[in-house]
Amino acid sequence: MENILEVKNLHVSFDTHGGEVTAVRGVSFDLKKGETLAIVGESGSGKSVTTRAIARLIPSPPGRIKEGEILFNGKDLAKLKEKQMQQIRGKDISTIFQDPMTSLNPTMKIGKQIMEGLMKHQKMDRSLAKKKAIELLDLVGLPDAKERVDQYPHQFSGGQRQRVVIAIALACNPQILIADEPTTALDVTIQAQILELMKDIQRKTESSIIFITHDLGVVANVADRVAVMYAGKIVEIGTVDEIFYNPKHPYTWGLLGSMPTLDNEEESLVAIPGSPPDMLQPPKGDAFAPRNEYALEIDNELDPPMFKVSDTHYAATWLLHEYAPKVEPPAAVKKRMKGFGNTGASPISKKGDD
Amino acid sequence: MSGEKLLEVSNLKQHFKTGRHSVVKAVDGVSFDIYQGETFGLVGESGCGKSTTGRSIIRLYNATDGDVKFKGVDVHGTKSHAQLKMFNRKMQMIFQDPYASLNPRMTVLDIIAEGLDIHGLTSSSQERKARVQELLETVGLNKEHANRYPHEFSGGQRQRIGIARALAVDPEFIIADEPISALDVSIQAQVVNLLKDLQKKHGYTYLFIAHDLSMVKYISDRIGVMYFGKIVELADSDELYKNPLHPYTKSLLSAIPLPDPDYERSRTRVPYDPSQLDSSEEPEFREVQPKHWVLCTTKEFEAYKQEIKQ
Repeated sequence: MENILEVKNLHVSFDTHGGEVTAVRGVSFDLKKGETLAIVGESGSGKSVTTRAIARLIPSPPGRIKEGEILFNGKDLAKLKEKQMQQIRGKDISTIFQDPMTSLNPTMKIGKQIMEGLMKHQKMDRSLAKKKAIELLDLVGLPDAKERVDQYPHQFSGGQRQRVVIAIALACNPQILIADEPTTALDVTIQAQILELMKDIQRKTESSIIFITHDLGVVANVADRVAVMYAGKIVEIGTVDEIFYNPKHPYTWGLLGSMPTLDNEEESLVAIPGSPPDMLQPPKGDAFAPRNEYALEIDNELDPPMFKVSDTHYAATWLLHEYAPKVEPPAAVKKRMKGFGNTGASPISKKGDD
Repeated sequence: MSGEKLLEVSNLKQHFKTGRHSVVKAVDGVSFDIYQGETFGLVGESGCGKSTTGRSIIRLYNATDGDVKFKGVDVHGTKSHAQLKMFNRKMQMIFQDPYASLNPRMTVLDIIAEGLDIHGLTSSSQERKARVQELLETVGLNKEHANRYPHEFSGGQRQRIGIARALAVDPEFIIADEPISALDVSIQAQVVNLLKDLQKKHGYTYLFIAHDLSMVKYISDRIGVMYFGKIVELADSDELYKNPLHPYTKSLLSAIPLPDPDYERSRTRVPYDPSQLDSSEEPEFREVQPKHWVLCTTKEFEAYKQEIKQ
């Protein structure tokens, strides 16, 4: 499959009174046509900043893209002027934000909010745009679209508003849809509906989705590939099976271990001790080392490079170095792996290859 | 679990007037018991009345109707000042939002010691300070943290301060209203482990209110599922997950995504359709099997009994 987006060595910083906050420190990944890439990580890991940089939504100042390329169909978005970016944003790349309560304009009818993009990018006239807006509301599963197109956001429930936000994002058939925690504010049953909707739409429109979340259950549900971020870097990336059934990075182990499965009873959860580092002064070496019980001495000196596990699976941990001591993942994580015929000892999972 | 009833809630109702003629029945006839030393989980979607139930139990609202008995004593009845104080000491609450539930102008020392002061539990400022430092260490913070202000802490640390505050007055029963939903996954596990450890050491009884079903399953001994102000199903947590009977419970369970891609590929969601329920009579709360209660009509009751035998 061809790459629709290539991010290369992206660095994003914010200049604050306290100094420079290095929110994203060298992120590289690509996005293929029609796939869903999930980015997971704790708050402050830089996952939202990465995607906002792609959509060029970082306010500047204080933020700036310090280094790196964002190649979208061969064009470097990082170098575009705001005027040029406006031709792309909302048309080729659109964003669904986390909070449906605040991402709609309360003083505008929702129809008008959907029509905005259509009239600007597709040069539709008012009546055509309205027709298309009603179609879109139908597409996202909002009943009585004809009447509701003339209603205001406060007349909708949270799940319905998120559907409206999705309709706006889809209006111009974007090639890339960035979904920044689109279901975090919603109840599980509504979340399930929205996820089904997004997958359904993806099937119809063949758009690529970057899905940000910290809920690993949601990741397992929607993602084709997963990137795990920590302290402004991608620490592990692979297919969804590789990340869940053959994780290599201790941080990924920690994330998986801290989620209860429905059959673990008595054993306590594997919590990751401590809290994420202060990005005003990112630590020397591996930023995860202070919270990592598997940390080696070299972690305090040198940041690990990406080690290749398979053609699609990479992890940044010195444990994968040929001289590193052999380390077994914690029991809670191994159990997950075992359930699927993987003892955790084999270096490469074959599951993701099909 | 010693099998002794610590809290008895019977037919609790909490109605809010929202206009001259409209009433929101947030909690509409809820009954359950909580036993000494257990963790009782209350789950449901937003707006189902689970938080209101918790808040009515601890008297943050005056109940519209029904009884809440704590160790056999009615909570909502009129009480003398001294009785009320004693009751307030034995029942404590941990709130959802660790950012909004700590006074930003007070030091951690004063926040945690507020309960100690009100109940006169310490006699000197040294003792007060020592007790707070001890509590901070219990919840996994440093004693040096006592002189700082809430804004200097992360979400997980703040929630620990909230827990220390609840523990300060030596309670028996703690209502935790979504204590982890504002926290990151890795921090959630820290807080849940802390709550479990404290229970093991001190024998606390918890009412754990949450919408994250997998976490509730993990921490609770028994679970009640709420829908529109009523408990629709109540059972031991294993039983509830293995043999859900009420269609709403089934629907809710089928909607949880689990961190397992193979499971996710095969999971099918069961939508909930209240019109499928038997409406020939007013449903009642019935015991389908020992310790497994479902809100149902007589007809459904028989059907559920059949279902569970299979």
